[in-house]
Amino acid sequence: MNTFLTAKDTKVHKGNPGFVFFLRALCVLCGKSFLVFWFSQAALAADVLHLYNWNNYISAQTMERFEAECNCKVVQDYYSDNEEMLAKLAAGASGYDILVPTGNAVDALIRQGALRPIDKTQLPNFRNLNPAYLNTAFDPGNRYSVPYAYTLTLIGYNTEKMKALGIPADTWAAIFEPRYLVKMKGRVTVLDSQRELMAAALKYLGYSANDTDEAKWRQARDLIIRAKPYWAAFNASSYIKELTIGNIWLAHGYSSDMFQAVQDAKKAGRPFTIGYSAPKEGAVLSLDSMVLHKSGPRPDLAHRFINFMLDGKNSAELTNLIGSGNPNLDAMPFIKPEIVANTAIFPDRERLAKLEMLKDLDRNKRRVLSRMWTEIKLR
Amino acid sequence: MDKGVRLLKWLTGGPPFLFLLAFFVAPSLIMIVASFRFPGEYGGLAPLIADGKANLTLETYRFFFSDFIYTQVFIKSFVMALATTLICLIMAYPVALLIARSSKKFRDLMVLLVVLPFASNFLIRVYAWMIILGPQAAFSRMINGALGLFGFEPVALLFSPFAVLVGMVYVHLPFMVLPLYTNLEKHDPVLLDAAQDLGANAWQRFWRVTWPLSLPGVYSGAALVFIPVLGMFAIPDILGGTGDILIGNLIKDQLLGTRDWPFGSTLSIMLTLVVLACAGLAMWVSRRRSYA
Amino acid sequence: MRNKWLWVASVFVYAFLYLPLVIVIAYSFNDSRLNAEWVGFTLHWYQVLLNDEQMLRAALNSLLIACTASGIATVLGTMAGIAIHRYKLKLLPVLVITPVAMPEILLGVSLLLFFIQVLNLTLGMLSVLIAHITFCIGFVAIIVRARLAGMDESIFEAARDLGATPWQTFRLVTLPLILPGVIAGALMAFTLSIDDFVITFFTAGVGVATLPLQIYSMIKIAVTPEVNAVSTLLMMLTLGMIVIASRISPEAIKGNA
Repeated sequence: MNTFLTAKDTKVHKGNPGFVFFLRALCVLCGKSFLVFWFSQAALAADVLHLYNWNNYISAQTMERFEAECNCKVVQDYYSDNEEMLAKLAAGASGYDILVPTGNAVDALIRQGALRPIDKTQLPNFRNLNPAYLNTAFDPGNRYSVPYAYTLTLIGYNTEKMKALGIPADTWAAIFEPRYLVKMKGRVTVLDSQRELMAAALKYLGYSANDTDEAKWRQARDLIIRAKPYWAAFNASSYIKELTIGNIWLAHGYSSDMFQAVQDAKKAGRPFTIGYSAPKEGAVLSLDSMVLHKSGPRPDLAHRFINFMLDGKNSAELTNLIGSGNPNLDAMPFIKPEIVANTAIFPDRERLAKLEMLKDLDRNKRRVLSRMWTEIKLR
Repeated sequence: MDKGVRLLKWLTGGPPFLFLLAFFVAPSLIMIVASFRFPGEYGGLAPLIADGKANLTLETYRFFFSDFIYTQVFIKSFVMALATTLICLIMAYPVALLIARSSKKFRDLMVLLVVLPFASNFLIRVYAWMIILGPQAAFSRMINGALGLFGFEPVALLFSPFAVLVGMVYVHLPFMVLPLYTNLEKHDPVLLDAAQDLGANAWQRFWRVTWPLSLPGVYSGAALVFIPVLGMFAIPDILGGTGDILIGNLIKDQLLGTRDWPFGSTLSIMLTLVVLACAGLAMWVSRRRSYA
Repeated sequence: MRNKWLWVASVFVYAFLYLPLVIVIAYSFNDSRLNAEWVGFTLHWYQVLLNDEQMLRAALNSLLIACTASGIATVLGTMAGIAIHRYKLKLLPVLVITPVAMPEILLGVSLLLFFIQVLNLTLGMLSVLIAHITFCIGFVAIIVRARLAGMDESIFEAARDLGATPWQTFRLVTLPLILPGVIAGALMAFTLSIDDFVITFFTAGVGVATLPLQIYSMIKIAVTPEVNAVSTLLMMLTLGMIVIASRISPEAIKGNA
């Protein structure tokens, strides 16, 4: 690499005042920014609540109202995937009072001993919650977690295209069966998530989304590999935009993202509409809960925040904004009626029975799944 | 005096040496050790010492070599790096040659024009291709229109290996132009005149004179393109489709997705070995050339 | 005759280099949040950008890290460059070059493990800072050494013969001579640091978003022309830096690898 770094000697700027000035300015600048940097670290010690949350998972107005009420500041950081959040916490991220992990991640965090128990006496609004979402397998008795909101992993689609092509949009077959896919090659995206895609395939095969039997995993893997040539991409969240533009006709994704796509398409005045529904074989329900991380310096503020968010009106604001499911019974009167009526957001009893929450995998299973994932991507 | 020189040597060389020892050599060693450890149950690493014994294993390496799939990812990355390097070379050569043969006045400007795209963040340059290759963009419509005329199926340009290759070439092209130019600039035009006088045509003059002389530039340019491409994860991440997984993506997934640090370390070490082997090979080839 | 073909090929390559940038800039003025087709002219996205607290915080972080990292890396890199040139060291050049020559992801991974496993350091500003200094030292050292290599050794000998102490020699002779190289190296380090994505991605933890990290998550999650707007502004900034660097010292451009 040195061959091209030979010096082309230019004029020697001996004692050139311009350069000396420049160097000095640079030094001063560096020194100053260094000071600012250390001061800004120290200034964080005031009344601040640190929230590590999903991207776009709280309404700005709700936040402003809470800040006004508690006379504090809320600092938020974001993640877009549970694994990412767990990995970052495993990588030493700390200082967070509240996290909003999904069930399986709550499970992992509890077993790691990373969470602080919740003091329910400080949460009078806890009674607002729908008992159907309490006492889950990952936290019996809700000692550590308070349900916040939920989403379904389902199928979003271009309604007109589905009709024209005669593709049933209420089944995973639309994503996995070549006889349907062949009509929309390159117009389908699936989630870039090992667990979610595997769960969809397992569900379609009639197994539990949490089945860890390797033979069944292999079956699911083969199903995915068979369908893969027809898919456009593995995608984390830009399917919202692709659906809205019309590049993609069918997407495997989260109900709240589909909700946004519907609205965006409407706003952009597209000649088509976006629809979404939970496949009849069942789907993954991701219940996100508020938990207190042990590294958080302000459990007092955290409890106030949780209680605030359990208030029906505040909780409803999120649902009205992003179309997430709401485990709060008190929120129902404040939610727009068309959202309450949407069975992909508030599933009826029959559909609810077929939904499953994902459980955390142990390290060996994680490695096996990751290997299969590599294989899926390579084929 | 001798003692003074040694002191000075340490005063100037010592601080950077210690810094790099602490933050480059030590981390590399830690990574090597990590590849022999067990993954922690919830991510990170299992304790190094369990029951008074060192808790080390070769399991991760066994896992790596137990089937062909990871080697396949390496081969894929290797092919991608090779293709990128070749395309960069083909595109960079005429530009470098033109710059080297231009008058001094234009030279600096033309070099600057090659470097300027660096002024934008590389993610943005990659993102630009997302816009260009998108199915609604004029470029894609043109290509697919042309394909349609000949009765071919339309193709998706974005989210494909093609898009990844374009992104790789685009980001790394200047790395090839600069060393080539630096080399070509030093060539003595008299050599070409002599060749012409001896009756060599343009083609012969290029292959017999310019090309052999430019080989050192080609080698350093190739190294500057090949090695970064080998470890790249962001471009396949952004532009790639359902099958575009390279070593970089695999490593990233182990650390920030699957929470399998030992395997991530093992993959990193394998990548290091591949890079070292390539660098060694390049050095060997160029040395043999210079003796010949 | 030959030159004509060279011209044609070169024009094509230059177009290839610039077309995407033109598109990014053009779309930053596009009145549509979808970034797909041209709708109309607007400055809306620049306004959005200026009110985007997260983006501004990321920009401030980037700036702080780039200033501090390039400052420290310039001092250490200059020392390394001088030491390598003057004392014909064997090990230091290897240490200086390797982090530069290896794929970035390797430095990112090893530093991540090191910070967490050994130093037990919470990833944040400090970890990013250290990581950036580590890879910037090499670039500064290379540029400074290249500058020294082209110099007449007798100047330094003359200074010593005239009774200058080592410090005086450095301050009055060496430094003014290598200053263009040092400044070019500093600017180089600054540009690299403010632009770095891969290593920052691994060492930033959460909460310390730098501009490239912010841009990455915007590209992955929700692309609006705000990304184009921030890119356009960033382009102008780094463009300024590169032009200054190239004016001061041509080595800067060549060291850009």
